[in-house]
Amino acid sequence: MSELFSAFGVNWTLLGAQAVNFAIVLVALWYFLYKPVLATLAKRQEYVAKSVEEAKQVEALFARADGEAEARVRAADAEAEEIVATARELATTEKTRLVKEAEARAAAVAHDASARAAETIERARRESDRDVARLAVLAAEKVLKEND
Amino acid sequence: MHSGISVVLKAEQLGSVFNFPITNSLLMAWLVMAFLIAGAYFFSKSLKMIPGKLQAGIEWAFEGAIAYMTEVLESEVLARRFFPLVATIFIFVAFINEIEFFPGVGSLGFFHASEFLPVLRAPTTDLNFTLALAMISFFTIEITGIATLGFFKYAGKYVNLTSTIGFVVGLIELMSNLGRLISFSFRLFGNIFAGEVMVLVAGYFLPYVLPAPLMGFEMFIGLVQALVFAMLTLFFIKLAIVDPHEAH
Repeated sequence: MSELFSAFGVNWTLLGAQAVNFAIVLVALWYFLYKPVLATLAKRQEYVAKSVEEAKQVEALFARADGEAEARVRAADAEAEEIVATARELATTEKTRLVKEAEARAAAVAHDASARAAETIERARRESDRDVARLAVLAAEKVLKEND
Repeated sequence: MHSGISVVLKAEQLGSVFNFPITNSLLMAWLVMAFLIAGAYFFSKSLKMIPGKLQAGIEWAFEGAIAYMTEVLESEVLARRFFPLVATIFIFVAFINEIEFFPGVGSLGFFHASEFLPVLRAPTTDLNFTLALAMISFFTIEITGIATLGFFKYAGKYVNLTSTIGFVVGLIELMSNLGRLISFSFRLFGNIFAGEVMVLVAGYFLPYVLPAPLMGFEMFIGLVQALVFAMLTLFFIKLAIVDPHEAH
């Protein structure tokens, strides 16, 4: 066994030194490579998870805002429709009122005219009656005069 | 000074500090360590929430590795606990195996007593390194098994006195477990060392053309061996934490 070891140059001091070398590399890489890299990976994973969560929240917020805007637009639409309907109704009422008023005025005018016409006729008749009476008087006077 | 191919099975000692031998494979291990630690340090400083290409690639690899380990171990907690070990085995071995074929490794050196001593040698071609790694892997596996199942339940996997067949199976399990120390260390050592020898031999025959594709292939082998070492550690951890009664 020792012959074999000496043929390959196995020396317990050197073997120990190489084991220590490996241990140093292990500790150094652990401290400078594995720990920071794995910590970075964990940190990034956490960051991504947080970002996804936040994106979800923002999306929900957007959806809510969208819904709210839609509801508000719908309400405004309904209100506008109502306003138009009221205006239209008001206009119809006004129109009816105006037409009725105009009709009434026309009727009044017509009535007035016919009344005036009747009055004129009456007056004319009265005047002619007076004329007839005067003529009769005159005729009578004339007759009387002749008889004298 | 002799010409021709010189294949040295063991890492050459360059010198010593306070009786502590400094070999060329130890030197290269330190070099790769410095490179990895500095790279990791500057990378950690440049981490951003919105990743660049390098960061995205590394993150992708880590996430994939943890997902795969979670699948194998059937527990994300265990996957995250063993990820540093498995990943470090892969990264350290892979970088050593890839840097091995950079110019200068194995070719830069000096002559000492008419013998050429390269300054750098891939630690994966030094049994000290592969055996150390195998031991770390082995003890991690065994300790995880004991910690998860409890000592007696875990020992019961290997010492089974309920039946003759159970006893023999337990004994075979024990031997194959101990055999992992050898298979782990010699698999890595053998693959990388053989690749180096092959490139060396090819270079001896046709120095300017032949080694290039072989080096490319050996770099691929280096990645595969790093992956094999890491994956086997993972699978053996899984085997160690499986309840012996559930396994059947």
